[in-house]
Amino acid sequence: MLGILKAIGTTARAAMRKPATVQYPTQKKELPHRSRGLPVLLWDFEVDEPFCTGCQVCARYCPVDCMTVTMKDNPKYAEGKSKRRKIIDRFYIDYARCMRCDICVEVCNFDAIVMNNTWSGVELSRYDRRDLVLDLPALLADHKTGQMADPFREPMGVAHSGWAPKQRSEDEKEAVAATEEGGEG
Amino acid sequence: MIAGNAWVDALARMGIIAVAVPLAVIILSYVERKVIGRLQMRLGPMRVGPYGALQGVADTIKLLTKEDLRPQTADRWTFELAPFVVVVPVFLAFVTLPFTSEAFVRNLGLGLFYIVAVSSLSIVGFVMAGWGSDNKYALLGGVRAAAQLISYEIPLVMAVLAVAMVGQSLNLTELVNGQGRVPYIVWQPLPFLIFIVAGLAELYRQPFDIPVAESEVVGGPFVEYSGIRWSMFQMAEFINMVLISVLASLIFLGGWNWPLGNGAGTWLQVIWIVLKSSAFILFFMWMRASLPRLRIDQMMAFCWQVLLPFAFLQIIINGLVLVYDWPDWVLGVLSGTAALAAAYLTYRGARQAAVPASPRLHRVGSVL
Repeated sequence: MLGILKAIGTTARAAMRKPATVQYPTQKKELPHRSRGLPVLLWDFEVDEPFCTGCQVCARYCPVDCMTVTMKDNPKYAEGKSKRRKIIDRFYIDYARCMRCDICVEVCNFDAIVMNNTWSGVELSRYDRRDLVLDLPALLADHKTGQMADPFREPMGVAHSGWAPKQRSEDEKEAVAATEEGGEG
Repeated sequence: MIAGNAWVDALARMGIIAVAVPLAVIILSYVERKVIGRLQMRLGPMRVGPYGALQGVADTIKLLTKEDLRPQTADRWTFELAPFVVVVPVFLAFVTLPFTSEAFVRNLGLGLFYIVAVSSLSIVGFVMAGWGSDNKYALLGGVRAAAQLISYEIPLVMAVLAVAMVGQSLNLTELVNGQGRVPYIVWQPLPFLIFIVAGLAELYRQPFDIPVAESEVVGGPFVEYSGIRWSMFQMAEFINMVLISVLASLIFLGGWNWPLGNGAGTWLQVIWIVLKSSAFILFFMWMRASLPRLRIDQMMAFCWQVLLPFAFLQIIINGLVLVYDWPDWVLGVLSGTAALAAAYLTYRGARQAAVPASPRLHRVGSVL
């Protein structure tokens, strides 16, 4: 019977507290940094091209075959602006098929693909199933437009990727530039 | 008087009741969801209108436009008439319920008796719904409703009777006028507690929602109902809540009279009665959000072993005090002592029932 009074007190205290509800479509909780949405491609802002070289390793490892990747010669390499000889030509991911296993991210040698950690990687409702097959511009859009400001990369991935921008001090940069010039000469 | 002719006047007053009561139900259904939401740290309805204020209207439209289903094997007339049998008596009770010293349809001399008599008619509707649905759960729910509502009707009536003894009248207006200085809750705390508990049981809401328990009889008598007929049951529940709340504030808290007196303007009286009955309605909602459902044997034993004996005890006390013409404070002291005794006995019984005498020997039936 004292339990009754306790229960009454509990609900009274609950009424004093702020409701826990988040009004979802208008208010959104912040997703955790490692939130695993669907895979998207990253944009190399330094060279102004995708990180992806179209090597197809992700497509080959994909357990559900949801990716289609083709490669082409990189025009910027010919102009000397980029280090990438090959670049992605066409990239399709069927989001209806993807099971978010993260294997494409694990195997990517260039850290070019990440799991989307924003809400756009989770909210997938479309009127047509075919709209869930995303092409290259759509896959790059999240990172390129800055909507996905802080993509989560595997810590070891940065180390073994030759293309990840290294953090160098000014002195180091000069030293590297000097050796490169010397080597060429 | 609204109109000169007595019949026209009565019809006009009935019309106001017939419009105002469903409106109150629409508002209450929103308020209840909102209040229970807050008590459970939710927001309640928020989408329809500002802060979900039009949710009741949206629900009404939805219920009105839903298909009115009837099972093929249902007993047709019993099934289709049952909602009316439930909802009409509740409306009938409003005929004599005074909201202020002026606002009532008819001031019946035996008003209290009439309300108690009429509102117990809806039990028939539950049994009809249970039988007519041709559904085991509905039948179980109907039988449970009959058992619970009839059982709790008795302490409810006894509590009301105790107050009528003190007030020396069955006319609600006279009862309220008798509380000009001191409301009857002071002289009659025990009947007040009995009335609230039995009223909660009459409303078959948590913790007394045994007849309509979702997890036991999936809605009880309402299983097979949909659309407008289902909403009539729902409406009956809400109107009953209003009825019990207004009745409690009239006969225990002094209605419109205490503490302002009959001289106060009509609007002040309305504000007072609305405040008092809203407090009861909020209390019922609060209980609903707080307490788990009783077991059926606990529910029955609490009625027959605690509420009913103490209701009779109160009537005996009242009789003695009236016969020997003792002062009023004796009444208050005796009733308060009896209320404490009832609370202590309930507490001790609950403690004993919680610890079974031996692991294999559960004390079935001695609930409290």
